[in-house]
Amino acid sequence: MLQRFLSPSVLAGISGLELVAKTVVEGFVAGLHRSPDFGFSQEFAEYRAYSEGDDLRHIDWNVFARTERAYLKRYRGETNTLVTILLDASASMGFGSHEVSKIDYARYLCASVFYLAIHQQRDGAGIIVFDDEVRDFVRPSTRQGQLYRLLHALEKAEPKARTDFAKPFLHLQQCLRKRGIVVVVSDFYETPDKVIRTVDPLRFRGSELLLLHVLDPRELDPGLHAPARLVDMETGASLEVSPEYVANEYRQRLGAHIASLEAKARAAGIDYFLLDTSRPLDAALREYLSLRAGRM
Amino acid sequence: MGFSAPWFLTGLAAIALPIYIHLLRQHHAEPLRFSSLMFFEKRVQSSVRRRRLQHWLLFALRAALIGTLALSFADPFIRGPAGSADASARVVVLAVDHSFSMRAEGRLERAKREAMSLAASLPPGSRMQVISLGSGVKVLTQPVADLGEIRSAIASIEASDSRAAYAELAQALKALAPALKAHIEVHLFSDMQRSGLPASFADLTLPEGVRLIAHPVSSGRTPNWTVETVDSPHRIYDPAKVRIQATIAGFGAPPAKRRVSLVVGGKTLETREVDVPASGRAPVEFTRIELPHGFSKAEVRLEPGDALPDDDRFLFSLERVEPQRILFVHEPERTRALLYVRAALEAASGPAFTIDAVPTGQTSGITLDRYSLVILSDTGALPGPFLEALKNRVRLGGGLFVAAGSAMASRSQAPVLGVPCRGIEYAAREGERYLSAGFVDSTHPVLRNANQFQGVKFFETVRFEPGSGRVLARLSNQSPLLIEGKLGAGNVLLFASTLDNLANDFPLHAAFVPFVEQTALYLAGLQDSPASHVVDSYYELRAAAEPAASVEVLDPFSKRILSLGESAAARSIQLIAQGYYQVRRANGRNDLVAVNADRRESDLETLPADAISLWQNTGAGEPVSSGAPATARKSLWRYFLAAALAILLVESALSTRYLGDLGEQRVRFPAGRRAA
Repeated sequence: MLQRFLSPSVLAGISGLELVAKTVVEGFVAGLHRSPDFGFSQEFAEYRAYSEGDDLRHIDWNVFARTERAYLKRYRGETNTLVTILLDASASMGFGSHEVSKIDYARYLCASVFYLAIHQQRDGAGIIVFDDEVRDFVRPSTRQGQLYRLLHALEKAEPKARTDFAKPFLHLQQCLRKRGIVVVVSDFYETPDKVIRTVDPLRFRGSELLLLHVLDPRELDPGLHAPARLVDMETGASLEVSPEYVANEYRQRLGAHIASLEAKARAAGIDYFLLDTSRPLDAALREYLSLRAGRM
Repeated sequence: MGFSAPWFLTGLAAIALPIYIHLLRQHHAEPLRFSSLMFFEKRVQSSVRRRRLQHWLLFALRAALIGTLALSFADPFIRGPAGSADASARVVVLAVDHSFSMRAEGRLERAKREAMSLAASLPPGSRMQVISLGSGVKVLTQPVADLGEIRSAIASIEASDSRAAYAELAQALKALAPALKAHIEVHLFSDMQRSGLPASFADLTLPEGVRLIAHPVSSGRTPNWTVETVDSPHRIYDPAKVRIQATIAGFGAPPAKRRVSLVVGGKTLETREVDVPASGRAPVEFTRIELPHGFSKAEVRLEPGDALPDDDRFLFSLERVEPQRILFVHEPERTRALLYVRAALEAASGPAFTIDAVPTGQTSGITLDRYSLVILSDTGALPGPFLEALKNRVRLGGGLFVAAGSAMASRSQAPVLGVPCRGIEYAAREGERYLSAGFVDSTHPVLRNANQFQGVKFFETVRFEPGSGRVLARLSNQSPLLIEGKLGAGNVLLFASTLDNLANDFPLHAAFVPFVEQTALYLAGLQDSPASHVVDSYYELRAAAEPAASVEVLDPFSKRILSLGESAAARSIQLIAQGYYQVRRANGRNDLVAVNADRRESDLETLPADAISLWQNTGAGEPVSSGAPATARKSLWRYFLAAALAILLVESALSTRYLGDLGEQRVRFPAGRRAA
């Protein structure tokens, strides 16, 4: 089937985030085969033995009556879940070599996920916008008007300051009482060890973690042809770099960083997906969701 | 190799500019914002080295561009053979001097013979051109290889009465050289007269590529005597009172006794013997003048003859005329002005004018045709018929001078001219006490010698509105003092004061006499003309304002020199030959114009050899010496300029490529996201 994806520049021309999200979601949903496991929601999967600290409300008392053993229900999809997005709005996310910067791309991505979760699957959704502090927080909910609150939070998310994963994840751990899906959208200019070490505690609470690594094509390949002085958008530090270095060592180091992050994420049971901002968003989402469905 | 403009080589210092840009200037890369420098390391040395290597060719090209440009402006040249092997690249110009001095001792014939001989000696196919040199240069042929045409052109050269001007030859060669586009070899056949040199030697500078070879046709200094000047009036009223003075000059001559004669109308009136000192001058004066009425051809003749007999006669023309009559009209019993005017005219012009004084009451019945000038001296009311007759006389070309005083101030307007009269003005006893002349148009013939009324005190003046009249002088209070008006063909001068030494003290000043004389001559149409002219000078046939009356001019050989159209329109003619020109005008104002050759031609002293050599060397820039092969400069600036252009193109391509890389990089990092 021939699928025409929407280029990021087309999305940039659409003024409303909701319309962007609707356009993206309807685009890739229409191109997918219906799958029973499709979507972010969780369905019943199995019983799990009670362990200390588990919520007593999740104990299946019928089973306890029959067996006098406490079991917890594990869900796959029969109940709605909560999707929480952690959006990195640090200054580095403002970089962009074409019409759509990384923060724009991330906004479209978040809006599409929210639209998918709220409109298609009746899930609750929330967002934490962070840089080195938590700048905005919309508690996950299924209340009416939640989508607009989320979109408003997205609109306000302007890139500034530096990235610090510790504070927002600590905040999230305090606020996130229910299990759900936590999506981290960032360019991950941090060591992979620190990233994984920061996000891993969420997984122990039963939440499913997904790292969406957003990078500009010029970050992947700066393509310098002459020496240049680069200024760090977060720290303001400048550095004169040569094209030879960029062509060789930079690529190697970035590639190693991505590979390391992906490997460590997989090892920790965290999903990782690299998003190139020059790539059509619906195509990327479709690819990721297909891969995710295959893994489940 | 040499440079025509070596000071342009200072432009080579501009090479310092690319050196500074490429090697000395700190390179400041434009900062580009990037998301994170997490994966970058500082590698400055590598990038600088790469940049220098990348720009080395660009630097070399830019330095070469500046160098070639500076060299091309410095006009480099190399010397090479003057192209004698290539006959087609050379034009031989045969310049034959035919000035007045070439009449001496058969110099012109000798010059022509030598020119023909040279033309015949040139290799077949040589291009030659013949020009003649006098006060100007006349091109007789185009550059041709036809020896017959060249011979014919040389043979056609005749002696002229002009003065040699070598500067004209240099100027003509400057005009010819670009047109011929060839090496020019000029052979000048001349007596190389010293007097032919211009005031500034720079005017003799020959253009590039022109080689001058002088062929002097005179040997040493030839003694010559001449009648240098003759001082004589052109118009003579009473021959008994005329004295004619002449100056006899000897050039390069020993002391000698010469016989000088005054000849008028072919008749020798007087002969005198004079002792002319060595290379000196001696005056002669003739007093016994017998002259018929009308024009007479006169000359002062020098005997015996010498090397240049044509300058032994000095021609001049004489016109014997009756004294002009002036009608002086005055109020009865007021004759003071008459006294001063008559005294002034007698002192200045002698018998040129006779004055008929008439009181205003006796003007009826006067025939004005007999008078060339009428003077109204502060007249009151004039009889109507007289005024009408006076207007008619002025319209037909008569002159009128009006002196205004208290009597005329009572009238509303000036007589004949009709300009409004605003009354009389007196210098106040308590105020400025007298007026003086504030503005004087000294270009007007009447006021040319009037010393601008300097020191004249005016106590009583009449204020006139000049209207369309021309104000020639104003008083210090800006009221007109002298107004000129035109009426038909005649002129009217209105003087806003009197001539009686009462209203002003003008008659007591020295300027009064020339003022009265010039006024009378101007208004009577008798402005004096010289008795003789110099060859190549111009003679004015008619004033600009005169109507197109026909003028006929006969040259010394009795040939008409004006065509029908020219005779109706020509304002002047050039007097090109020695002799008498006859000018016949339709209004009867004929003239006999005597023309003499410029007496500087009589000095037959030749240019010294070093001066000739100096002149020859102004052309090609290399010394001209016999036997040495002639060389010519080959200018190389075009080649350098072409090289600069080629370098510029390559530099443009390279810099575009380099800058294109930078531009591409900027495109990848959009301007809006660049660091401030």
